Amino acid sequence: MKKIPIAAAVAAALTMTVAPNLQAEEGSSLDIGRFVIAGYGDVSYVETDNPDANSNVESRFVPIFLFQLSEKIHIESELEFSLGANGETEVEMEYADIHYFLNDNTTITAGKFLLPFGQFGPNIHPSWINKLPSGPGLYGHGGNGSLAPLVPVMSDTGINIRNSFNIGSSKLFTDFYVVSGPREEEEEVGGGGEGEEGGHGAIPEVGFEAGKGDNNSDKAFGGRVAYAFLPSIEVGYSFYNGSYSNDATLDYSASAIDFNWIGTYSTIRGEIIETSTDFLDEDDGEIDVFDRGGWYLQGSWQMRQLGKDALNPFELVLRYSEINDALEGERWTFGVNYWLEASTALKVAYEDTTLEDGDTDNRVFVQLAFGF
Amino acid sequence: MKNLTIILLSLVGLFFVSSSNAQHASDPSLIAEGAKLYSQNCGRCHNARPASDYTKREWSVVMPHMREKAHMTGTESLAVEAFLNSTLTADVRNDVDSSGKVIQRTPQELIAQFGCQGCHVINGEGGNLGPTLDGVIESRGKEFVVKKLRDPKFNNASSAMPQFPMTDADIEAMISILK
Repeated sequence: MKKIPIAAAVAAALTMTVAPNLQAEEGSSLDIGRFVIAGYGDVSYVETDNPDANSNVESRFVPIFLFQLSEKIHIESELEFSLGANGETEVEMEYADIHYFLNDNTTITAGKFLLPFGQFGPNIHPSWINKLPSGPGLYGHGGNGSLAPLVPVMSDTGINIRNSFNIGSSKLFTDFYVVSGPREEEEEVGGGGEGEEGGHGAIPEVGFEAGKGDNNSDKAFGGRVAYAFLPSIEVGYSFYNGSYSNDATLDYSASAIDFNWIGTYSTIRGEIIETSTDFLDEDDGEIDVFDRGGWYLQGSWQMRQLGKDALNPFELVLRYSEINDALEGERWTFGVNYWLEASTALKVAYEDTTLEDGDTDNRVFVQLAFGF
Repeated sequence: MKNLTIILLSLVGLFFVSSSNAQHASDPSLIAEGAKLYSQNCGRCHNARPASDYTKREWSVVMPHMREKAHMTGTESLAVEAFLNSTLTADVRNDVDSSGKVIQRTPQELIAQFGCQGCHVINGEGGNLGPTLDGVIESRGKEFVVKKLRDPKFNNASSAMPQFPMTDADIEAMISILK
């Protein structure tokens, strides 16, 4: 039964490929290109009083390779180049996928893609888009400092079906995907990974990095459904569920509500995330559930609203993050951005993180982030 | 079974979509619609990028990427691309008559041609990516507006406003209806 969703999705997608009423951008009279390198990067200085972390300078270069094979087929891949602890170059494939524009409303994506779960993971995390130099602490992929993320997964391998519907002056967005899913981690996850022991018993580690294979026959299933009154309001509900143990008896699930308000000079974003991880209680042999949740709220304001030319490039950002139930922590981040171009910002931020055991982690960031 | 049901329901929805009718990329109504969609979608996640960030050919490859990211339909993506292209080309300049004399467009025609209301409120209608232009002459002065039309980045390097191919007469016409 577990294999049915992906089989149904693939079969339905293939069937509709030959549907008679399908057309996308055919007939376009625009000047058509084939290949572009876009992307982003950043240089960051981080000063911390955390004895377990060092103050240092970090640099990343993240090119996105875009290929347009035809008006219906688009290929993209994002690679992240960064420096390792010993000066070696580290390369990570963030995503590599193919889009098939089935019709005006529907896109089928196959390969390794950013999971449409919430907003920060799939859309906001690139450093020239993220208005702060760090993450809210709820998602994986770095920038979490000493907070243990709730949703370590950012991308995975599988198939996604994306739709966009106009309903009067509003829009409905849907994504439904099937991916390889989480797996049982052989080694303990460092840095406060999901499922880490924290006075809550021996909980199996859950790994999320996409690999060549899958550790069980079960696939993870998820999606996001959002309703938007553009350009100002978008509210989304996301869900994710998959078995992670080798025998497919233990599940990890997550859900989120994201809300976004976009004004001419201001933005307010927030996400509420709940997760559940099954684990085998070694005392009674029963499967118990380990729940964690958290949320963040972020506001930004562009000072150009004041109408003073000297203040036009400045933007103020404030964010509060909180993780509850286990491995708890809270974080305040205040930042000032100076926009050199629409896609290049010098960001300065102060971050104050307090963990449940009373430990604190205060950081100062200076980051130059650019999109190209 | 629940997963299967959700997938099938989502796919059934595909059969209710309507096909799109292709418009020529220089169609003023397509450009105006593109300006509105640009305003509505590009600022949802990041600062709207000025058209000059990429060439027309590059936009044709970038837009399918953004279509997927922003959940735009193919028709919407094409309209945004047409708007961006319109600001990167000279063929939207004023027409000439048979004697070679420039036919000056009216302010209303210019507003439609350049999609101004995609991002700005004019006479109470328009988008909110940029500030309202109602009362802009009174609040910022004519000289400011002229400079902004000639060089949108003169006072804000991160401005997404395109440098429209406007003649001096076009700018004067625009000033005449702004208050």
